[in-house]
Amino acid sequence: MKLLRSLILRPLRRDPLRTALTILSVALGIAVIVAIDLAGDAATGSFRASMETLAGKTDLEILANGGIDEPWIGALDALPVRATFSPVMEGQAVVDGAGPIPFYGVDLVAAALEAPEPGGSQTVTATVSGRRQELKPARLVHSDSGDILVADIAAAQQALGRFGKLDRIDVTIGHGEDLARVEQAIRAMLPPAYLVERPGVRSDENQRMLRAFRWNLRVLGYISLVVGAFLIYNTISISVVRRRGEIGVLRALGAGRAAVLGLFLAEALLLGVAGAALGIALGRLLAGVTVRTISETVNALYTTSRPTPVELTWSEAWMGLLTGAVVALASAFAPAREAMMVAPVEAMGRGAHEHRARLRWRRGLVWAGLFAAAALAASQARPLDGYPVGGYVAALFSIGAAAFAAPALVLAANYFTRAVTRRRVAALLAGRSLTASLSRSSVVVAALATAIAMMASVGIMVGSFRETVALWLDVQLRADFYVRTSARSAAGQFPALADGAVAALQFIPGVAAVDAFHGTELHFRGERSTLGSGNLEIVRRYGRLRFIAGENRDAILRSLPGRDRAIISEPFALRNSIHAGDRLTIPIGAHTVVLTVAGIYYDYSSSQGYVILDNSTLLRYLPNQPATNAAVYLAPGADRAVVLRALRLRTAAYGVSVAPNSELRRASIEIFDRTFAITWALEAVAILVAMLGAANSLLALVLDRRRELGLLRYLGASAAQIRGMILTEAAFLGLLAAILGLALGGALSLLLVFVVNKQSFGWTIQFHPPRELLAGALALVWCVTVLAGLYPARVASRLNPIDVIHEE
Amino acid sequence: MRPPLARLELRNVSKTYADASQPVEVLHGISLTAEAGSITALVGRSGCGKTTLLNLAGAMDFPTTGEVLIDGRSTASLNDRELTALRRTRVGFVFQFFQLLPTLTVLENVELPLLLAGAAKPAETARDRLRWVELEDKAASLPHQLSGGQMQRVAIARALAHSPDILIADEPTGNLDTASGDQVLDLLRDAARNFGSTVLIATHSAEAASIAGTRVQLRDGRIQSIDRA
Repeated sequence: MKLLRSLILRPLRRDPLRTALTILSVALGIAVIVAIDLAGDAATGSFRASMETLAGKTDLEILANGGIDEPWIGALDALPVRATFSPVMEGQAVVDGAGPIPFYGVDLVAAALEAPEPGGSQTVTATVSGRRQELKPARLVHSDSGDILVADIAAAQQALGRFGKLDRIDVTIGHGEDLARVEQAIRAMLPPAYLVERPGVRSDENQRMLRAFRWNLRVLGYISLVVGAFLIYNTISISVVRRRGEIGVLRALGAGRAAVLGLFLAEALLLGVAGAALGIALGRLLAGVTVRTISETVNALYTTSRPTPVELTWSEAWMGLLTGAVVALASAFAPAREAMMVAPVEAMGRGAHEHRARLRWRRGLVWAGLFAAAALAASQARPLDGYPVGGYVAALFSIGAAAFAAPALVLAANYFTRAVTRRRVAALLAGRSLTASLSRSSVVVAALATAIAMMASVGIMVGSFRETVALWLDVQLRADFYVRTSARSAAGQFPALADGAVAALQFIPGVAAVDAFHGTELHFRGERSTLGSGNLEIVRRYGRLRFIAGENRDAILRSLPGRDRAIISEPFALRNSIHAGDRLTIPIGAHTVVLTVAGIYYDYSSSQGYVILDNSTLLRYLPNQPATNAAVYLAPGADRAVVLRALRLRTAAYGVSVAPNSELRRASIEIFDRTFAITWALEAVAILVAMLGAANSLLALVLDRRRELGLLRYLGASAAQIRGMILTEAAFLGLLAAILGLALGGALSLLLVFVVNKQSFGWTIQFHPPRELLAGALALVWCVTVLAGLYPARVASRLNPIDVIHEE
Repeated sequence: MRPPLARLELRNVSKTYADASQPVEVLHGISLTAEAGSITALVGRSGCGKTTLLNLAGAMDFPTTGEVLIDGRSTASLNDRELTALRRTRVGFVFQFFQLLPTLTVLENVELPLLLAGAAKPAETARDRLRWVELEDKAASLPHQLSGGQMQRVAIARALAHSPDILIADEPTGNLDTASGDQVLDLLRDAARNFGSTVLIATHSAEAASIAGTRVQLRDGRIQSIDRA
């Protein structure tokens, strides 16, 4: 303990700024992870809450793709089992003063008979499916997870335009009744296409649906921690190099190797735990800021969710501390081990140590090659349980390869720029100083390069994705106008167009064709996707749907009408390993339908995917399925403005919005940009951590080379020259990191685009690196690196040469 | 036109360091004159104030009281720019532990003061100085490839790179064997002779002190005796 105090704590206190910078680096890394986890939980935590709080415990749920035919509720009630069957409708409503809230239809009459509500039921005015309606009986329920609008089942069916259909039947088993017996009785009675599930299956579906999204977000969060790990490695390395003499004395006085190892690991642990503690508090604050952004993304891309309050639990706090401690110990192990190996008589100064580091560059390159090969091999792996584990392992190997290549890069840069740098003393000294402290400068370059690479790779991925989506939207949105309910709906919701709305669109002068789309939730292999249908002959004639290479668009679309054939989107195909020509068994309503997959088309609107039939097929199995949106194609020469006016006039009574395709395109790109906003924020934190690292390391280099800097003053260097030298060093570091970062970023972007994204979401993204954005970002990072050198430069120029030169 | 050769003069110089508990007087009432082209040896035990006196003479530090005059001008009156210019052009330092930059070649080490001063043709001058210390063949070597004596000769070449008027050497043979030490002393003697430098040496060694025309014995920060050969 005494040793820890004198050898570790005292030096840490002597260098408060460097200690603070290291702790802050770890803190930011942990903060991001904690924030992402907390905000992710809060943003998705409301799936399960609403109905559970309203209806209490449910033992079984009955579901069906396209809805349950209502008469089954009466048949179930007649079953000779002690169980209650509660019909449920689900949707979204906008209530004055409460905004958009979940809307449930339940058997209020039965509920009122069982437990009369004080005040009874009321009439609530709400906008459902785009239309302002009076719901009676209905009431607004306030629960912990937010407000819920509950209406009687009949009122809900009418409001949602789904007459005779139920979204779900909740089953509650009576006291002493056997659950298995009830389940068996229900299955025996219902059509086999109906799904009888244990409660929570929808919540599980939601969690499964979001797992790739959350996992990828979490991995992005870990970037900052990886960068932080480099910095801990650096800090402990510096600590070991500086205290080599002390270690020798300690060993000579009888301290064992384990004690020395323990000392330096304790230093890392201290920094890690202090950083983690600060990071947890910071993460809690950040979570409050990010929860809204994540929630918007979940709503836009996946399913309805309302953010719940951010809760920091003890287990999350412990996990944060543990992560900080483990990362600190792991990153400090190598330098601590090196300290352990110092022989008692070894009077090895920095020079010898660094000389050895310089001699090891070839070995480093060999390791870099091996890591690169391992990365290549890992990138070929198939996803593990739906996770792109191979892709991430390949990314880690790539980072490792870059780290091993860093010393060689520093040496090579110095070697090849000798002729130029010799002309300017600041450049000459800066270049040589970087090679003189190779073991440290290469770690800083690697840390900075990792942050830059992450920024570049995510930038390339997002830029490519955006460009791909923009091109796809151009192809996909071929209709001139799109009609849907004016209700704001989240992904996974299919508010029905009012009866007569589609008919009202027809026969407007200038309208050539109207394609009504019928969308509904599809429960398939434990995940949720979309089952839809359209008039595929219209799609064939007017649309530009793109199928994956080698498939004949016309032939495919022609083959669908009237037959049990489907086209599926690329993510659906990849997620479920389905190929063209495969047969797909899908429960639709009360029917189990075997569909032949006619083709696979590109789609970027849902990672869950679509199964699309022709209207003639879907409506055969779900005759009353309402249309959920419609595409309107204009006749050649029609005046768009006139037709738009006519469409709006004709549909004014139906609560629909008519949008030109440009508006939809813009809205889609806006959603895209919003979705990736958080990605950029995470990138910024990683860069910030790297900057702190650069400042920290430059400061360490200055303090460690103070004798050399003092000597320069003796030799006639001015304070400005010393400052210039440190800033040049920072600029060199930034430049080398940018070169290495860009190379690594290129490799990582290939992994992100072609492995991680493909395996996580199933999208084929074309490679479109945003060159200007990348150039700008790199320039910015470089400038900030130079700025990070300002303080160390100031410290260097203010060193007292007499003190430092006679320190020997 | 080059100014006349330096005359270094210390007038009643004292130096006190402010310690946390009490001030420590390192030099007291030192008065000394060193003529151009002369060699002066400061002799005394460790801690007697030799290095402090050298730093004052080289304008790296300033007296608490009294004056250090170079060419009749007090170093305390110079601003930072003038002090830097003084070190670049008129003062050269040699240290006990050589203080060569390990990543620069021998030639680059010698060039360094010239590069810092922005001198013309630094490589040529540096080569010339290396020739003078008979180490031209080692120009491309790195310091760790040299012996201690060779390193100190490189350090002397570096100190003489800009032909300084004042050459200050702090224990220049303290870390060398006798033969190497003798070589270094010969070079210092030649520096005074060939470059006309005023050489000021701090040393423990009687051999080193023997090359000096003036030997100043220091004890506890005071001049105990001055012997002139």
